[in-house]
Amino acid sequence: MASKQLFSVFSKLVISTNSLNIARPICTTSSKLREVVNRKEMLKTVPAMDEGTQGEKSVEIDYGLNKHELFPTAETPNKLFNGIPFKDIPIFHIKVSKNNTLIALTDAKGDFKIVRSCGSEGFKHTRKGTNIAAQATAITIGTKAREQGYKTIRVKVKGLGPGRMSAIKGLQMSGLEIISITDATPVSWNPPRPRKPKRL
Amino acid sequence: MTLKHVSFISRTVFVKNNDVEAACRVLNRILGREGLIDQYRRTRFFEKPCQFRRRINFERCKSIYNEDMDRKIQFVLRKNRLDAFPGAS
Repeated sequence: MASKQLFSVFSKLVISTNSLNIARPICTTSSKLREVVNRKEMLKTVPAMDEGTQGEKSVEIDYGLNKHELFPTAETPNKLFNGIPFKDIPIFHIKVSKNNTLIALTDAKGDFKIVRSCGSEGFKHTRKGTNIAAQATAITIGTKAREQGYKTIRVKVKGLGPGRMSAIKGLQMSGLEIISITDATPVSWNPPRPRKPKRL
Repeated sequence: MTLKHVSFISRTVFVKNNDVEAACRVLNRILGREGLIDQYRRTRFFEKPCQFRRRINFERCKSIYNEDMDRKIQFVLRKNRLDAFPGAS
């Protein structure tokens, strides 16, 4: 950048000496050339972080939506899926945060079988908190689970973050059959006092 | 306010025809409509009392405006006349 500016300044100088005009003063920084003028304006141009909440604000109406098939009922726990009652199907717990994604396979009681995270997958630092990392992690843990004989699973998602959607997609890509998706985000209307807001 | 929800009964969507994305969208839409996602985002950082007051006042004004607007729209769309849509036929 600096070399570019210097070049432009020198080229102007050359032109000015050639045309015998009054030479412009040499200044290395120009306010017009600076990229970031205002932080607020800069943040407007940056796209919002993907939190895996596609369709959150949509107002579309599902015409062909069969509510009896889409949502669980009182009989659901004993309903059979591939010969297993719903309450005994193993669970994939996905914990999503801004900077990481953790995926754990447990049985219906909640005993851990396999645990993987974006960090243990080899993604380090800011790369952990990306949807690509989450998808790669989900694919590896999914294939591992398939090797161990798991076929049908249910998914429980906790938190908002870049890996929310892509982790579920990755699990499906690895060949597992996802029966249901549950949201377990901890939301409270009278929480303990949260941390102070960030200031920049 | 917060009731302990039963896992895998509440906030659960079944996946139909292996279409995970559609199921996610339905789930997200329900969560968004119920205000759960907004509340989650709001409680990440402490909301100062002045911000709280500002937000509450804004929401109050918005709901009053929405109520009035709904009434107006209902008034314009009322159909208790002999010919429901005059000039349309």
